[in-house]
Amino acid sequence: MGSKIIDKKRKPREPESESDDELGNGLFDGVLSQSEDEEDYIPSDDEKEDEDEDDSGTEGTEGSEDGDDDEDDILSDDIPSDVDAEEEMDKLVNHGEELEITEPGVDPKPKEDDSEEKNYRIEKDANGGERYVYDEIDPVYDSDDTDAQGPVNTIGNIPLSFYDSYPHIGYDINGKKIMRPATGDALQSLLDSIEVPKGWTGLTDVNTGNPLNLTQEELELVRRVQMGLLPDDLQDPYPDTVEYFTSIEEKMPLSSAPEPKRRFVPSKNEAKQIMKLVRAIREGRILPYKPPEEREREEQEQEEVHFDLWQNEEPQAPNPMHIPAPKLPPPGYDLSYNPPEEYLPTKEEREAWENADPEDREKEYLPQKYNALRKVPAWGDLVKERFERCMDLYLAPRVRKNRLNIDPNSLLPKLPSPAELKPFPTVVQTLFRGHEGRVRSVAIDPTGVALATGGDDGTVRVWELLTGRQVWYVKLSSDEPVNAVRWRPTKDAFILAAAAGEDIFLMVPTHASVTPPLDQASRDILAAGFGYATNGQQQTLPAGKEPPAKWARPGTKLEDEGVLIRITVRSTVKVINWHRRGDHFATVSPTGQRSSVAIHTLSKHLTQIPFRKLSGLAQTAAFHPLRPLFFVATQRTIRCYDLQKLELVKIVQPGAKWISSFDIHPGGDNLIVGSYDKRLLWHDLDLSNRPYKTMRFHSQAIRQVRYHKGGLPLFADASDDGSLQIFHGKVPNDQLENPTIVPVKMLKGHKVVNKLGVLDIDWHPREPWCVSGGADGTARLWM
Amino acid sequence: MAKIKKKGQAGQAKNYITRTQAVKKLQLSLPDFRKLCIWKGIYPREPRNRKKVSKSATASTTFYYTKDIQYLLHEPLLQKFREQKVLEKKISKALGRGDVSDAARLERNAARPDKTGKPRYTLNHVIRERYPTFTDALRDLDDCLSMLFLFANLPSTTAVPAKMIARCERLCLEFEHYLIVSHSLRKSFLSIKGIYYQANIQGEDILWLVPYKFNQRVVGDVDFRIMGTFVEFYMTLLGFVNYRLYTSVGLKYPPKFDQLKDDQGAELGAFALEGLNIANDETKAIANGEEHGPDPKVQAEVDKLMQKLRDEADDKEPGDGPAEEEGEEQPSDAIDKFEPVAPGGDVLPQPSYSSSDPSQLFSKYTFFLSRETPRQPLEFILRAFGCKRIGWDSVLGEGAFTTDESDPSITHQIVDRPVVQAAASDEGDGEDNQTAQKLGPNGRYPGRVYVQPQWVWDSINDEELKDTGLYAPGASLPPHLSPFVKSTQGQYDPTIPLEEQQTEVEAIDAELEDANVEQGGEASEVENDMDVASEIDEEEDEDKNEEDEEEESDDEDEDEDESATLQRQRELEAEITGKLVQAADQKKVDAKTKAKLEAKRALERRKKQEAEDLERAKGMLSKKKRKLFEQMQYTNSKKSAEDMKLRQKRRKLEKEKERAKA
Repeated sequence: MGSKIIDKKRKPREPESESDDELGNGLFDGVLSQSEDEEDYIPSDDEKEDEDEDDSGTEGTEGSEDGDDDEDDILSDDIPSDVDAEEEMDKLVNHGEELEITEPGVDPKPKEDDSEEKNYRIEKDANGGERYVYDEIDPVYDSDDTDAQGPVNTIGNIPLSFYDSYPHIGYDINGKKIMRPATGDALQSLLDSIEVPKGWTGLTDVNTGNPLNLTQEELELVRRVQMGLLPDDLQDPYPDTVEYFTSIEEKMPLSSAPEPKRRFVPSKNEAKQIMKLVRAIREGRILPYKPPEEREREEQEQEEVHFDLWQNEEPQAPNPMHIPAPKLPPPGYDLSYNPPEEYLPTKEEREAWENADPEDREKEYLPQKYNALRKVPAWGDLVKERFERCMDLYLAPRVRKNRLNIDPNSLLPKLPSPAELKPFPTVVQTLFRGHEGRVRSVAIDPTGVALATGGDDGTVRVWELLTGRQVWYVKLSSDEPVNAVRWRPTKDAFILAAAAGEDIFLMVPTHASVTPPLDQASRDILAAGFGYATNGQQQTLPAGKEPPAKWARPGTKLEDEGVLIRITVRSTVKVINWHRRGDHFATVSPTGQRSSVAIHTLSKHLTQIPFRKLSGLAQTAAFHPLRPLFFVATQRTIRCYDLQKLELVKIVQPGAKWISSFDIHPGGDNLIVGSYDKRLLWHDLDLSNRPYKTMRFHSQAIRQVRYHKGGLPLFADASDDGSLQIFHGKVPNDQLENPTIVPVKMLKGHKVVNKLGVLDIDWHPREPWCVSGGADGTARLWM
Repeated sequence: MAKIKKKGQAGQAKNYITRTQAVKKLQLSLPDFRKLCIWKGIYPREPRNRKKVSKSATASTTFYYTKDIQYLLHEPLLQKFREQKVLEKKISKALGRGDVSDAARLERNAARPDKTGKPRYTLNHVIRERYPTFTDALRDLDDCLSMLFLFANLPSTTAVPAKMIARCERLCLEFEHYLIVSHSLRKSFLSIKGIYYQANIQGEDILWLVPYKFNQRVVGDVDFRIMGTFVEFYMTLLGFVNYRLYTSVGLKYPPKFDQLKDDQGAELGAFALEGLNIANDETKAIANGEEHGPDPKVQAEVDKLMQKLRDEADDKEPGDGPAEEEGEEQPSDAIDKFEPVAPGGDVLPQPSYSSSDPSQLFSKYTFFLSRETPRQPLEFILRAFGCKRIGWDSVLGEGAFTTDESDPSITHQIVDRPVVQAAASDEGDGEDNQTAQKLGPNGRYPGRVYVQPQWVWDSINDEELKDTGLYAPGASLPPHLSPFVKSTQGQYDPTIPLEEQQTEVEAIDAELEDANVEQGGEASEVENDMDVASEIDEEEDEDKNEEDEEEESDDEDEDEDESATLQRQRELEAEITGKLVQAADQKKVDAKTKAKLEAKRALERRKKQEAEDLERAKGMLSKKKRKLFEQMQYTNSKKSAEDMKLRQKRRKLEKEKERAKA
């Protein structure tokens, strides 16, 4: 093999030199063939070139005649490539030479075309030994090779566009210009572009300049190469392995078992499964298949089934908890498309509506008038309104509201007419002027002719009630004000009790109505106790204990005036209240701690302190008008004690912060309480210990409350706002009925001095008159 | 010792349940819960004490009755909802796997009521539960009808499928057919929102609103899913109600529906009612009268009437009402009217009883609707009130008795177009126009009455044919009043003359004002006088009660003095100018005004007295009652103030009118 390679290496050199020798021959050959070719497909433009070629051609033709038959055969074989021709020539030449030296010898590989001739020659090698030199094998590619055809362009790997401005497109192996193929006229190119020829690629063959057309197989090949597949699709790259022997050893390839029964009997399992399907079909669970379009159509056509839903209706009582949705109110006149003109909004109303927030509007529409039906537009908010209604229906909590479709006036209590309520005081009749400073207390005597007042100036004055004339006057103290004046409530005597500071004075004023026997009787009553006191009291009083009060004569100066007894207690007395019989009276001194409440017995000149201990500061105290009961008011509560059994009966809780005063109805079952926190409270003692009515008509504290004691259903209160209020308070005889309380009059007249208005009031024993004493230094009679 | 009670274990805390709890308990999604609540008619409740009920701090919780929710637990629809939920889960799973074909298959199985308008479930049992009797269902029909009529007029969108709209429209038209057949439509009202109708079916008044035929504007955030849920329920309800109503009048339900006619816009005419009995199976297609032709009797009557109308056309008498047959004493089962023969007996009230049946109000006439009139409502109302032959312009759709305007049988033509001024001159040759095919803009066919649409509405509301002269084309129409307002004592009523309903004060004020206007130039003195009066009034206000009387006499004296001095001055002036003194006249006027003034003052005094009494009485009420009283008084006074404003406006308008007349 190695020698062969050497041969091959050497061989190309040899023919080269030879070809150089016989250049003319070879050339001629090619020229001839080329000229023929050119005639075939290149219409020459250049005459000169043609001539040159012709010249050379002529030479060639001469030379070609020298070639042998084989050569002719080859040439006549219409192989256009002159390179090939040249090679042929070389080979032929070699062949010729070889023919000369060929000798008969071993023919290792007989060739088809070279028949019996030996294709080797025997040479002597360097060692002198024999050496077979075989002929060059002629593969005779030309004979059936169709690949190489046409002139080969030699311009190399440069773009063809470089030749755009030349008539040629390159050069062949012989340096001849390869002319540009005809491109045809515009029409042809248009036709080409319209009608794409088969195998058209849009490329240009570099060698010829013609459009490069590829066949279907070629395209397929290109595609496969591009896809990275094998170019040849016939070949399966991964065929299944065919095992030419089996790997499983068959022990007993044949069985002699009889055919089982199941091969001949229908399957039970299958029957079961089929029955299942049959049943499903029968029950309608499996429906015969229908195309979906058809099924859809059927579904749509199917009408909704209607029947009488209420065929056997039975009315049910509505669930008590169910609240049916309220219906929308029917439209009113203002919703009409053509309402009466008075319903149309004025300009201001329209503006106000438009400027208002949609939520604040009372109506969601403005009345509008259209003079013809055709002008009525669509209502824009209709969908929204409907939607809101829907929302209300399902989302709004429903509450049953009792709509009071009643006249509001029926709520008002049936009040007696003002005419029925009369008489009551309305105007100021008499003004009592004389006191310097406040008038602290007023009292009308049981006969109703005299008025006693006590004031800050320490005097007690008695006036003629109707005329306002001062009839009597005594100065009890120079520095202490007179806090309370009260008449003894019986008509058999004319005795006045007054408190100034820690002293209580009992006096018999001189008055026109006081006849000498009456005067004498009064003095006797007061004097009766002196002997008793000296005899009895000392005995009962335990030794070493100071008496709660000291009964004494006030001194001659006062005795001349008519003041007969002075009782001195431990602290300042603010309130005096007589028992109805006139033998006892109670005094209250709020600052007196343990001895704040004292009961004095006139006939015995005896003072007792009923309470060892009191819860809270005592404000005022009073005897029950009929029964032996005693009421003591502390700041918050009023306690009722039975004087016979000596026990607590009841605690009344008015709920006021600070009770100022109270009064007991002459019937004995009702109580009014005034308080410093502006409240007037009516208690029904049988009903409850809480107030029956609370009246708050005053803007300032209430100082005093009083019932009319002479049979008229009246009561009054005095307040720091300078007014008195007169109420009609009727207590019915029937126990079941409630008292009716009617405010009837506000009496204003007193001036407010230092935030103090009216300090005390008192009723006339018979007439509907009352007297008030004020901080402005006057007392007034109202009638 | 009693067992210690735990908080939240009994009572209100157990009776109420919040919405979240309810949804959890039912294992539903919120939209499904909403649907269920809408259909089952379950609504939130307001507990008496929120604090006791709510365990959470949030104030805005919705509470339901626990019993209601428990009742929902047994609802068969719940299962359907759950199935749907499962299916949706399957679909989303399939999509998640990327198995589109499987998802599509499942999707096909899913019922999509929002697309097809037809769900897989039915609401029959729900309707039966909610409305145990038919009357209950009728009672709740207001919202149902309003909703369905609205949806019948909506444009179809993705939220409102066209199928749903078509079904709503059909149901509504079927219902209208029943009303026509049974003559149960009672009243109708043209409002700015739409047309209200009221029907009386089996003693139940049903009121609903139909929008005008325009494209409905959808504004604001309107959730059509919620509306759709309602509509779904209402459609089922109305279907069953229609069935019951149709069978009750011996008709087959559903009526035959002609799709072709409907496509041509026949609306009511697209349905053909069939009797229930197979024997008389002739379809009562909407009677237009064209099948049997003009009845000779009817024709004769119409002719007679037309003649009459023609006669009366000149003097415009309101006499074109139905010609009532009189004098025929026929035995009937109607109630006889009892009239007291001799005075002195009590008058017993009897049910109202009119000689003419309102349901046959239009039965004798043939109507023609011009093309600018709303065909649907007019057709419905006319038919419901007995009209058999209604023609209209062909542009208004199919189903007309005639589309030929020149048809001689037409007795009434409803027009709603303005009178063209220019063509007024050739009105005289109307006779010639009869032959012509087309009329001029103002042309009139003789022998028929031209009215505006409002005439129809006012006629049916008053149950009598109104004077057509008032409703002639181009005439300014009388106000259209709502027939649903029931006048109550003391409320303003536009139908009653002003004098009968104004308060005394208002009357006196008005008269005083009148006097002012009458006196004209001399008004200045009176005004002066009035000023004095008003000053006096002010003084009075300040005065105390008891002093009123005395003061008043003083005032009067002053008044007299003043007027006397004025008189004197006037006389002097007259002397200077040399004119005759119109003393007598003047005095008369003065006396009149003074009397008025005095009356006014007395009235005011009385009022003040009353106010004082009221204040006194109010003082005796408890705080709670006083609050209630004040609230009531507030609303009452607001109402009366509104009424007063209306009366004032009306007085002003009337005066303006008078002035214009003068």
